[in-house]
Amino acid sequence: MLGRMSHRRLWRLVPAMFAVAGVLAAAACGDGSTTPSAGSTPAAAEAIPTLDAATKVTISFLSYNYGTPGLGGTGTQALIDAFQKAHPNITIKPQGVPVADVLTKLRTDTAAGTPPDVAQIGWSKMAEAYTALPITPVQQIPPATEWQQHTAGISQNILTAVASGGVVKAMPYTMSIPILYINADLFRKAGLDPAKPPTTMDEVKKDALAIKGAGAEGVYIGVADDSKSDFMTQSVVNSNGGSLVGKDGVATVGSKPVVDALTAMQDLTQSGAQPAVSSASAVAAFQGGKLGMLLTSTALMAAAQKSAAGKFELQTAAFPTFGSKPAKPTYSGAGLAVLAKDDVHKRAAWEFIKFVTSEAGFEIITSQIGYLPLRPAVTTKLADTPILKLLQPSLSQLDTVTPYTSFKGTQANQAVVALQDEAVAPIVLHGANPGPTLTSVADKIKKLTT
Amino acid sequence: MTTLEVPTSPVSRGHAARRAPGAGIRTRLTPWAYQAPVLLSLGIWVYGPLVFTVVLSLLDWNLTSPSGSFVGLDNYRRLVDEPEFPAALGRTVLYVLALLPFATIVPMALAIMLWKRPGRVSDVYRSLLFLPVVLAPVATALTWRFILDPLSGIANVVLGDLGLPQRDWLGDTSTALWTMSLITAARFVALNILLYGAALAALDRRAFDAARVDGATEWEITRHLVVPQLGGTTVLLCFLCLVYSGQWTFTNISVLTQGGPVGTTDNVYYRLYTYAFTFFDAGTAAAAAVTIVVLLAALFGASSLLRRHRAQP
Repeated sequence: MLGRMSHRRLWRLVPAMFAVAGVLAAAACGDGSTTPSAGSTPAAAEAIPTLDAATKVTISFLSYNYGTPGLGGTGTQALIDAFQKAHPNITIKPQGVPVADVLTKLRTDTAAGTPPDVAQIGWSKMAEAYTALPITPVQQIPPATEWQQHTAGISQNILTAVASGGVVKAMPYTMSIPILYINADLFRKAGLDPAKPPTTMDEVKKDALAIKGAGAEGVYIGVADDSKSDFMTQSVVNSNGGSLVGKDGVATVGSKPVVDALTAMQDLTQSGAQPAVSSASAVAAFQGGKLGMLLTSTALMAAAQKSAAGKFELQTAAFPTFGSKPAKPTYSGAGLAVLAKDDVHKRAAWEFIKFVTSEAGFEIITSQIGYLPLRPAVTTKLADTPILKLLQPSLSQLDTVTPYTSFKGTQANQAVVALQDEAVAPIVLHGANPGPTLTSVADKIKKLTT
Repeated sequence: MTTLEVPTSPVSRGHAARRAPGAGIRTRLTPWAYQAPVLLSLGIWVYGPLVFTVVLSLLDWNLTSPSGSFVGLDNYRRLVDEPEFPAALGRTVLYVLALLPFATIVPMALAIMLWKRPGRVSDVYRSLLFLPVVLAPVATALTWRFILDPLSGIANVVLGDLGLPQRDWLGDTSTALWTMSLITAARFVALNILLYGAALAALDRRAFDAARVDGATEWEITRHLVVPQLGGTTVLLCFLCLVYSGQWTFTNISVLTQGGPVGTTDNVYYRLYTYAFTFFDAGTAAAAAVTIVVLLAALFGASSLLRRHRAQP
């Protein structure tokens, strides 16, 4: 009897054994499918030889512009079409992804062993991408002479700003810096002269209140960005003489320039010069002709031009200063990183990157999507086009562009989210006390970044 | 005490004699063979991942490194120590409380109204009311974004025209959670009308006719005869509301507020997602998932015990 009972108990264990086997199988699959360890980038490798015309290769290109219904989507498709016409042996297989999910998709694709060969990664996520993804530094793919020839015509200040440890790991592609969009019609309605746009934050507030008095919304400075990016926060803080990260790499979120900069942003809201709404609402309001000024990325230029057509006169001005301090806007946008595994795909990826960042490529990027032309030759060529006239204030500030700085460590992204969600948005939109709020968040960021 | 000895029948003796060697094992294995496909599926697709999640909750893993390092209960400790997860848990309870009337009282009332007036018009209403269930959740959320936009949305335009105060419904910390609950409520109302309708269809209308003959009013019939008979369905829908409130608000949170403003619309499911796919902290996300499962299982167990206790004479 006892033996029979034990036997029955043993049989009852069968489902549990299946479950455990399933888990072990799943765990085994998980381990087996993961590829190169985080942060493993090859040390200065030998340059990869060029592809001969007979070598047919297909490379995948992950882009947050590709497939979008607006100008970003059509412009990216135009770039791919032009490249494939010039390089019939290389086929581009594009993949669209929402901008907020780029890093998530790259991490999961890498874990599955199938990362794209080329990826468009936002600069605010680039530091984390360098440590978490198997990126081959783009500068190390072609021979040094070819690299120098290609980059000779690119703004050297930008190349220096994006370099990491003296090496360009991701190629500057769709670059933008903040610019002040102006609805000239609302300026005139408020008795202001759009030919004399505000140049300081104090003037911005004064003009915004005049526009508000005339029945529209005044200004929106997109520091509390919906996508939780801190590039506008950095632009405002840097222009006030501060920084979010000190020279020693330690977070300086609670410092006086940061507190003062965000206090000025809060003052805009509390005075009524700025509506306490999300950045998406503010962009929609500007495009609908209900907002006088919008300080945000030049990436919105082509879309702003399109929405203003026939509705209001669109003008632009340079990033405003804090008194006599120089404006130090931070760049945003994206770079192109190579995650290809073998030499053939790496070389094909470089050919694609070389094309889209050539004069022909930047002509499409600027005229069709609206990003900054990083080659002065393209600026000269497109000088008479409406979009370049609108971009001019930003082009004049390219020399003072400040590199985007990342928090240290593997929890850098969490620190940025904490800064934006727990300090910037509460202070600017919801009236939180700037000093204590920033001190509290600074403590949290220090814990996350040490 | 007398013991009766039953003589072994010649037929069964014959069967035993004819039983082939190993037939006993085959007899015991047969039921398992029938159950094997289901058990395998459950093991691989349900309990396997559950156990894997428990293992993952004990690791520090960033989703891309080849393997994680064992950290014991640190991830659980982090969930308790940091204010975000307990706060999200509290807000999930608020979502449940806010949605409970829309999961029970509102659909019950609408279902009874439709049930009492059968016909084509009732069918049209039923179809229209069911629409929120079949609409794509992301598309619905985006529509709400346009409706509730504080500067150009229809809601504020209408309120302004009526002389009422305009608000940033999703951007104001005092209204965001309740607005989010109302947006999600449409889905609960739509589905639960269908479930209450099914329960009402099973009721015997002759009892209500008899009550009418006895002089009962429609309100008395509804209150004293119909509603009590829907008690079982209501208990089930309460439990479903408890389970799905957090999950169904997830899409709206992700599309409309990303947990803001100042974390006021965050819930445990969105927090779990944030840990996993914004912070790439798979261990803490798994610990959050295990905590949610344990809490729901405890609630289910407690309610089962309570019902069993009540059922006892």
